[in-house]
Amino acid sequence: MKKLAALVAVIAVVSTAAAPPARAADTIKIGAAFALSGSIAVYGEGFKKCVDLAVEEINAKGGIKGKKIEIVYEDNKSNPKDCVTAVRKLITVDKVPVIFGPAGSSNFMATAPVAQENKVVLISAQGAAVGLTRAGDYIFRVFPSDTLQGPHLAKLAMSKGYKKVPVMYVNNDWGLGLKNAFVDAYKKMGGTVTDLIPYDEKKTDYRTELLRASKGNPPAIVNLTYINEGAVQFKQAFEMGIKTQWLCGSAARAPKMVELAGKAAEGVIGTYPSVPQNTKAYQAFKEAYKKKYGDDKIPIFGDYNYDMVYLTAKAIEKGGYTADGIRKALPQVAKGYKGVTGDKTFDDERSPKYAEYGIWTVKDGKIEDYKK
Amino acid sequence: MDPISYYLQTALNGVLAGCVYALFAMGLTLIYGVLNFVNFAHGELIMWGAYFLFLFMGEPFGLPLYAALPPALALTGCLGIAMDFSVFRHIRRANRLTLLIAAMGLSVFLRNAAQFFWGAEVRTYGLEVTAGMRILGLTLTTPQIAIIAVTILCVAAVYVLFFKSRLGKSMRALSDNLDLARISGIDTKRAILAAWVISAVLAGIGGILLALDTNLSPEMGVINLIKAFAATLIGGVGNLWGALLGGLLIGLAENLGVLFVSPSYKDGIAFVIMVIILLARPYVIIGERSD
Repeated sequence: MKKLAALVAVIAVVSTAAAPPARAADTIKIGAAFALSGSIAVYGEGFKKCVDLAVEEINAKGGIKGKKIEIVYEDNKSNPKDCVTAVRKLITVDKVPVIFGPAGSSNFMATAPVAQENKVVLISAQGAAVGLTRAGDYIFRVFPSDTLQGPHLAKLAMSKGYKKVPVMYVNNDWGLGLKNAFVDAYKKMGGTVTDLIPYDEKKTDYRTELLRASKGNPPAIVNLTYINEGAVQFKQAFEMGIKTQWLCGSAARAPKMVELAGKAAEGVIGTYPSVPQNTKAYQAFKEAYKKKYGDDKIPIFGDYNYDMVYLTAKAIEKGGYTADGIRKALPQVAKGYKGVTGDKTFDDERSPKYAEYGIWTVKDGKIEDYKK
Repeated sequence: MDPISYYLQTALNGVLAGCVYALFAMGLTLIYGVLNFVNFAHGELIMWGAYFLFLFMGEPFGLPLYAALPPALALTGCLGIAMDFSVFRHIRRANRLTLLIAAMGLSVFLRNAAQFFWGAEVRTYGLEVTAGMRILGLTLTTPQIAIIAVTILCVAAVYVLFFKSRLGKSMRALSDNLDLARISGIDTKRAILAAWVISAVLAGIGGILLALDTNLSPEMGVINLIKAFAATLIGGVGNLWGALLGGLLIGLAENLGVLFVSPSYKDGIAFVIMVIILLARPYVIIGERSD
C-alpha cells in the first residue's frame, strides 16, 4: 500500500514537472481574478462580458503587435480568501505580469499585497475605497477613488444649506475613507460635523445609532451606507418618525436598496461617479455591446472594465509584456486617454485624477438623477 | 426629543433587542440543560425559522402572515428534531468537544443550505413600512409590540410547561441527571424530543420576530447566537430565567453603550460581558452545573 502511494506520488511529481510549458509567446496572457461564483457573481458575469468585448475588438484589429490577447479567468468565489488563491494561481502557474483584480474593496485589498510582493501589476475597475491602491506601486485602478467623492458630497450638503450635520458611516475601508474625505472637505467649506457615528455592517438593528444621529432633530444626516444597511436604517428611521434629509454616497444607489426599504427610502439623495453616456465613445461601446450580446443594458461597472482592457493593452504595447514595463507605461498611456468612462489620467496614487459626479435620488420607488 | 425620552427610547430599544436575545437564549440553555452541550447550530434554527415563514408567505403558497406562521414553526420544530436524529443522537455519549465540533459543522451546513435555496442577499417579508406609534413620547411599531407580547407569552408558556406539567418535570429530572432519570423510569427519549422541539420553536419565534422587525439573511443566526450565548452565560448555563434576564441585560447594555461609547463597539459589548463572566465563573467551561 505504501509503495503504491509512493508510486502515485512520484508519478504526480514527474507529470507536473514534465507538463508542457505554457504556450509561450504566441499570445499575450492577462489574468482576471473575477467573481464567477458566490455572492457577487452577478456582477462578475457582467464584467467578464465587457472584458471579452474589448479583447475581441483589440484582437480583431490585430492584437498587440500582432499577438492576440488571451484572458485567463480565475474564479475568486466572491470572498477574500479565494481571491488570494486565484491571484496566487495566476501569478505562479500562469505567470501573467498583469491581473485584473477582484471586485469589492475588501476582496481587492486582500490580494493587493500578494501582487505587490510578487511584483505583478493588479488593476481594479470598480473599487472606490480610498486606500485601495496603497499596497504599492504595482497596484492601479481605473475607477475614481472616494477622495474625489467626499468633496462632491460636501458641496451637495452646502448647496442645500446644511451647515451642520451628523455623519453616520459603515465602519470599514470604504466608509472610513469616504467619511474622512467628506469631513475634510466639509470643514474647509465652513461646515460643522456635530457627531460621528460609525457602525458595523450586516447588523439588523440600528435604532439606537439612528436615535443618536437624530439627536437635536438635524435637518440633514449624512449616511455613508451600503444597500442592506441603508435599507434597514431608512426603514427604522421612518418607523421612528425621524424626519431628515438623508445624504448618501454611491454605495446605497441600488434598486435593491429601494426594494428592501420601500417608501422609507423616498427622497434620499446622494452622490455617485457618473459617466456621461451621450459621448461618441460611449455610444459606440453601447452599440458594440448590443451587437455582441443582444442587450443594450450595460452591466454595472462594465464600462470601467472595458476601459481597463484598452489601457492595459496600450501599456503592454508601449512598455512591453513585463510587469515593470506595464507598470511604468500605464500612467504614460493613461495621461489624457479618453475612455468610455472619461479621462483616465492617473494621480500620484495610481487612481484616476478626474471624475464626474452626479446626484441620485429615490422618487416613486425608483433611482433617478436628482433635479433641483 | 427631550433628554428623558431620549434615554427611555434607548432603554426601550434595549429591551426589544433583549426580548429577542432572551428567546434565543432560553432555547439554547434548554438544550444545554437537558443534553449538557452548547448547540452551536442554534443560530441556524433562528435563521431557518425566519426563512420558513418567508417560504410560506412567498410563491407558490402565498399565505398571509398569520396563516404562514403555524406551518413555519412546525417545520422549525421538525428541523430541531432532524438535527438530533441526524447528528446528536448518535454521539450522545461523546465528549463535549466532539459535540461542539459536530454542532459547528451542522451550523455551516445549514447556513450554506439556506444560501443555496434563497441566495446570500438580504430579504424582507415585503410588509408595508409604517410609522411607529407615539406612546408617552416613545415610538413603538406593531412588530415591536408583538415582540414584547410574544416574549411574555413564551415565557409564561415555558413556565407552565416546566413547572406545572409532567413533561416539564421529566425534562427537569433529565437535566439534573440523565442516568438517574432513566433508571427511575422517565421516558428520556420523549423528554429529549420535547426539549428539541421547544428549543427550535423558541428560536424560530425569535427569528421570525427579528425578521419582521428588520429583515432576513443567511447570516442572521450567527451574530445572534453569540448574543444568546452571552445571555446564557450571564444567567448561568441551564437556567431558563437566567437566560431571560441575561438576554435583557445584553440588549440594554449594548444599546446604552451606543450612546456613551462608539456604536462600532456595539457587538463588542456582548463579548466583553461574556469574557468577564467566563473569567468570573469559569465552571461554565469546566462543566460544573451553575444552577
